[in-house]
Amino acid sequence: MSTSPRKRPAPDALVAGLVVVILIALVAAVFLTGWGSSLYPPNAATAEAHDVRGLYDIVFAFALAIFVVVEALIIWSVLRYRRKPSDTALPAQTHGNNLVEVIWTVIPTAIVLFLFVISWQTLNRISTVSATPDIRIHAIAGQFQWQFEYLDASGTKVATQLAPLYDVATGEGGMAVPAGETVQVTLDSPDVIHAFYVPRFLFKRDVVPGQTNKFEFTVDASEAGQVFRGQCAELCGTGHRRMLFSVIALSPADYDTWLTALIVKANATPAPLPSGTTLNVVAEGVKYDIAQLEVPADAPFAIAFTNKDPAGLTHDIDIRDSNGTVVANQEVVNGGTSANYVYEPLPAGTYTFFCSIHANMTGTLTVK
Amino acid sequence: MATHALTPAASTYRRGRLYDWLTTTDHKKIGIMYVINSFVFFLIGGVLALVVRTELAQPGLQFLRDEHVYNEMFTMHATIMIFVFVIPMLAGLGNYIVPLMIGAPDMAFPRINALSLWMLPLAGILLISSFFTGGTAAAGWTSYPPLSLDGPLNSPGSGQDLWIVSLILIGTSSILGSINFLVTIFKMRAPGMTLFRMPIMVWTVLVTSVLVLMATPVITSALVMLFIDRNYGGHFFDPFGGGSAILYQNIFWFYSHPAVYVMILPAMGVISEVLPVFSRKPLFGYKAFIFATAAIGALGFSVWAHHMFTTGSVFLPFFSLLTFLIAVPTGVKMFNWVFTMFRGQLTFSTPLIFAIGFLTMFLIGGINGAFSASVPVDFALHDTYWVVAHIHYVLFGGSVFGIFAGLYYWFPKMFGRMLDEGLGKLHFVIMFVGFNLTFFPMHQLGLEGMPRRIADYAGDAGWNDLNLLATVGGFLIATSILPFIWNVFVSIRNGKIAGDDPWEGNTLEWATTSPPPPYNFDSLPEIRSERPVFDARHGRAGH
Repeated sequence: MSTSPRKRPAPDALVAGLVVVILIALVAAVFLTGWGSSLYPPNAATAEAHDVRGLYDIVFAFALAIFVVVEALIIWSVLRYRRKPSDTALPAQTHGNNLVEVIWTVIPTAIVLFLFVISWQTLNRISTVSATPDIRIHAIAGQFQWQFEYLDASGTKVATQLAPLYDVATGEGGMAVPAGETVQVTLDSPDVIHAFYVPRFLFKRDVVPGQTNKFEFTVDASEAGQVFRGQCAELCGTGHRRMLFSVIALSPADYDTWLTALIVKANATPAPLPSGTTLNVVAEGVKYDIAQLEVPADAPFAIAFTNKDPAGLTHDIDIRDSNGTVVANQEVVNGGTSANYVYEPLPAGTYTFFCSIHANMTGTLTVK
Repeated sequence: MATHALTPAASTYRRGRLYDWLTTTDHKKIGIMYVINSFVFFLIGGVLALVVRTELAQPGLQFLRDEHVYNEMFTMHATIMIFVFVIPMLAGLGNYIVPLMIGAPDMAFPRINALSLWMLPLAGILLISSFFTGGTAAAGWTSYPPLSLDGPLNSPGSGQDLWIVSLILIGTSSILGSINFLVTIFKMRAPGMTLFRMPIMVWTVLVTSVLVLMATPVITSALVMLFIDRNYGGHFFDPFGGGSAILYQNIFWFYSHPAVYVMILPAMGVISEVLPVFSRKPLFGYKAFIFATAAIGALGFSVWAHHMFTTGSVFLPFFSLLTFLIAVPTGVKMFNWVFTMFRGQLTFSTPLIFAIGFLTMFLIGGINGAFSASVPVDFALHDTYWVVAHIHYVLFGGSVFGIFAGLYYWFPKMFGRMLDEGLGKLHFVIMFVGFNLTFFPMHQLGLEGMPRRIADYAGDAGWNDLNLLATVGGFLIATSILPFIWNVFVSIRNGKIAGDDPWEGNTLEWATTSPPPPYNFDSLPEIRSERPVFDARHGRAGH
């Protein structure tokens, strides 16, 4: 018979051992030098996110340990047991071993049961919904725009934020929340499924038409002044990637000021229509009722715009010139409401009027 | 009494070669045509993936006209890869090899077998035809309603309907194929081939067929309801007409999660054939492996809602627990594979190298899947690029590496000639590097918050470099296919003659000629274990 595998010449074992050591050293180096930080979620910004992050760290530690052990076993086996010209006789024909089968069934079972239990505990903590949250926000995700209704303690709407993205230049837009206070969000969709996702909250929840999902979060008090990126995470059609929103953490005092301003703005009497040309445009079924508009050159004009689509589906009428430069940018109008848009005078020419939310809604504006 | 030959001799009816292939009921020719058809769609799906990666290489929409076209691209990429490449490719390998492995002359129902085959190119062509009839489906391969319903902002046009019809055709083909496999495996095994002497590949096809048979009719019902909703005013899935959007997800995933095992189990079967042969050892824990396969099949039916953790409509602890548990039989398999190589005598031919690629990459696909079993962690990772990384480590790092291991392993049996080892290794190295460059960065993108299925991302989100890296990797993967195609092209005519048993195989397909005659076997060796050809070669020395 041949030499037993245990008495093979050493070089293969040395090489295999060396590669295994290099693997472990590489993994260690990746984490010691901070390169490994990209394998962790971004800094948690809410109380719930800290909890999830703690869980992630435990899951990740197990994952990394299992990865290193199994890859090391594979590398060792592959490099150590290369067939040599002298290997004419068969190696020992080991068919299995019940003891090791039991071991590598029981240990992984114990690990996954442990991970399941701590996941469940975390889940229970982050899923609690109180009857009396500090702040209530009703988020409506329609194709392809978020809007945030601010509710009072009784659940009555006090103001609506129709501009979901924070604009650094004007300081307007976005969903403001007071840092350190519990915010309860209810989610509704008038059309398809969307998902409310803020990476730094380590959380997302689907916005499902026909059902109202609810969750709570508390932004860390230390995050006041921060703006968090949010985005729809469930494919919702052509405008999916443009369904962005911002969550702005404010100190409770700043938040009160912000909300008051929003209420004032919501209750402001709409600007009266200027004398001169006023056109009527209706949007229904994600279409304008008119494809051609005509206004005189170098004179202000207005459009009385009615959005007959369901609430949650927003439209507007912006204007771009023949070069594609946007020359008029109006605020969106929610479904079921109307607004008077006033436009600055335009030089003669051919323009396109369009909805900034729905790329298919366009028409021609002739100025002469 | 004298015998004399009939004059004129009864002429053999000669068919043209093409006509012969198009009308054949020989499982080997059908299997090869399955493989070729699937490979063609692999190339098409790959091109679509390159389009997606090219668009995402930089922030901004610069390559495609608009987001709708982008949505079409990834929808068709996934649909083609899953339904017209991976599933039929593995069914094709099974079709070729299962009757040979159990010592049968053909599949149980050869004509139904031909029917199963020919429905696939038809379905594929229907699917592709939507590119030329006003646009393809664009609601993702999952096609969740209400997005996939009719409506100006939903899915107007015939593309979504063609998608439904095509999937129903493929499903019917799968159901017929699975019945064929089950009857063949249960009724046509050679004498001595007991269930516990069947090659693991046959076992995985057996369990896969049970999954297909039980799950595919369920998705077919969902697809029919979706078709009715779209075309005849049904409201099964329309929440504004008394239907439920979540109902579709439950039915869809009741099939589509087991479908993941349909796509991975036969690849595991391939690996379980390749590793013992090239290690010169039996598979470690043969029976444990079979029980693990059956356990994955059974558990696979109770984890579907882990795709729906964020819907708010799922009993979370149950699906979390079952999803965690399915890691156990998968881990058992991994350890059995590694211990098959342990203290063996490894020959690094291309099939073994792809099998090792499978082990190292599928391990990552298993581990990063466990993150999503933890519900709170899934809340963070769901529908981000992390999930894209996960499915590709399973379906590419697992299934595709397994498929190539199988193609390199059985090519000599199919065509009687060896593939070139140098080109095979070149293929592996480029593909392995390209694969990791493409998909590993997606873990980081997902953690940083990049959602799936977006045509564009903000330039200041910090995702530019990783996306560019992934795109470079994607083109490397595409490059790696070139040496493979060249290898097949050259070797099929000029490759080294293989002989009956070039690898010193274990299972019955190596006991006949390469390629085998239409009836497969002139004689069979005695079948006393799961390695009859090994036993015949080594006699008592092997025990």
